[in-house]
Amino acid sequence: MVSRRGFLQGGAIGVAGSAIGATSGSLVANALNNTAAETATAKRQLPFYGKHQMGIETPIQAVTNLVAFDLKPETDRSSMLRWMTLLTDDIARLSRGEPVLADPAPELAIGPAGFSAYVGLGKSMFIKLGMESDIPAGFIDLPAFKMDQLEEKFSGGDVVIHVAADDPIALSHATRSLVRDSIPFASVRWTQSGFAHTPGVVKSGVTHRNLMGQIDGTANPQLNSDDFASVVWMDQGPEWAVGGTQMVFRRIAMQLDTWDQLGTKSKEEVIGRKLASGAPLTGTLETDAPDFAARLPNGLSVIPDFAHIRRAAPEAFKERIFRRPFSYEAGISESGSVDVGLLWCSYQANIEEQFLPIQRRLEEFDLLNKWTVPVGSATFFIPKGPEPDSVIAQALFS
Amino acid sequence: MKKIAVLLASVLLLAGCAPAGQVEISDAWVKSGEMSVEGGMTAVYGTITNNTDKEVTFVGGETAIAGLVEVHEMAMIDGEMKMQRIEGGLVIPAGESAVLEPGGNHLMLMQLTGDLMAGDMISVKFDFEGADSITLDSVMAKPAEGGDESYHETEMDMSN
Ligand code: HEM
Ligand SMILES: [Cu+2]
Repeated sequence: MVSRRGFLQGGAIGVAGSAIGATSGSLVANALNNTAAETATAKRQLPFYGKHQMGIETPIQAVTNLVAFDLKPETDRSSMLRWMTLLTDDIARLSRGEPVLADPAPELAIGPAGFSAYVGLGKSMFIKLGMESDIPAGFIDLPAFKMDQLEEKFSGGDVVIHVAADDPIALSHATRSLVRDSIPFASVRWTQSGFAHTPGVVKSGVTHRNLMGQIDGTANPQLNSDDFASVVWMDQGPEWAVGGTQMVFRRIAMQLDTWDQLGTKSKEEVIGRKLASGAPLTGTLETDAPDFAARLPNGLSVIPDFAHIRRAAPEAFKERIFRRPFSYEAGISESGSVDVGLLWCSYQANIEEQFLPIQRRLEEFDLLNKWTVPVGSATFFIPKGPEPDSVIAQALFS
Repeated sequence: MKKIAVLLASVLLLAGCAPAGQVEISDAWVKSGEMSVEGGMTAVYGTITNNTDKEVTFVGGETAIAGLVEVHEMAMIDGEMKMQRIEGGLVIPAGESAVLEPGGNHLMLMQLTGDLMAGDMISVKFDFEGADSITLDSVMAKPAEGGDESYHETEMDMSN
């Protein structure tokens, strides 16, 4: 309908402009089509209230900021509740595409633009506030892994706010709004920015590619399925934790200079999946289940013993996680090496039982480790989502 | 904020209840900062929409956290922006809204009875001539920068 209207209007202008009629007509039609596309992107609104915080069980947005905070010494439990009150109100408004209260730049609230934000709490926060006994089961600090080269400036944090949107201006405006309301309570420890595909570039539901070129996310549980719920959301524990989840954040640098020296076949063997289709080496479609038992005539496994998906696949049913990694690009060196990688985020109901055994297997043996280096690390507990008139983590801080 | 006022107005028109409209206050907040401590001052902001068919005047208010509450405006005095009491109150013509914002009109809270901290919720009564008072029970204290410069100036202003 929109394009037809565009065509008709274009025709009308064409008549008036005689000689340049045809060209200007199609230009106007294009402009109107663009407007329609922009409006759909600007209008996409994700629900804020509900059992779970927003921004996890949702298709990945175009751009993201993770901001981690350290509590100010005077911040106590009651100040945490005031902080969460401010953030809850801000996120509710931003999710509707409205400016926050006291917004110094309300003009920048152009629409929800797929905005989401959730708040996570680090183990260090529970300890600083003397709330060790509230730490949910399975929510652990990660041990050191032998491939880690962690940097303080990318790691840890008492509280995280993870913001995402389909537009960089909307993201920047929202992030600033949330940070402004955080500064009375905490100082910024680190910020990390990332991205995925822009809406409309890949069909919705299509798995995104990372900067190594791989289709990344295939074996994830399906959004909005019972399976997803059992992998990700806590179903026991204190009231504020049920419906929450445990997040692992890893900043993982990719060594593309050496990775690019591999041929396609080698690259595919490192993962155990084909680059073009994302299909397992034993199948033809992305959705085909990998056959880890399949052997080549020479007796070797089709999906090699060192392949990332063989090492990462669950050995016990509960060893499953939901991965939602954004890419990052943080500069290019004088010699042309790009500093890229993943802001690798995973969500699971229990870090110790679900994530840790996978990461242990990858630590022990995963050829991908040759080209990927964890440089940042943190874990956060994401409390359940707020109902209208309640506040994120209200019961925890009341 | 203006958009919301227009929206509200059009919703009321659509509902066909324009003559019996009321005064509404949306997006109210109170500022928390260095000055919002016991004995200090702060201000309440928001949008007041007059959906009645006659003029109303915003004349003042009341809140437990302030000893003195006044409707203020910003004005150029001796080449500097300063704030001062609006004598007789702020007139809001029928069908229009008044935006209270940092650097503009505001409901001034003085002689604070305690510290107002970011994220606190306070109850504020808005008083009108030509309409009933409105009490908002959860006006949120937001950390904000805008409009701060005038506070210092005005301490002197207010003593004369
Ligand atoms: C830069 C680092 C990484 C890259 C580039 C990467 C890439 C991939 C790719 C391409 C796949 C196959 C497609 C898919 O199922 O998504 C995959 C699968 C998987 N990865 Fe990673 N990954 C990385 C780090 C990690 C880490 C740190 C973990 C966990 C500790 C992990 C756990 C998994 C799991 C559980 C699967 C699914 C395995 C299955 O059941 O088939 N990955 N990864
Ligand atoms: Cu004033």
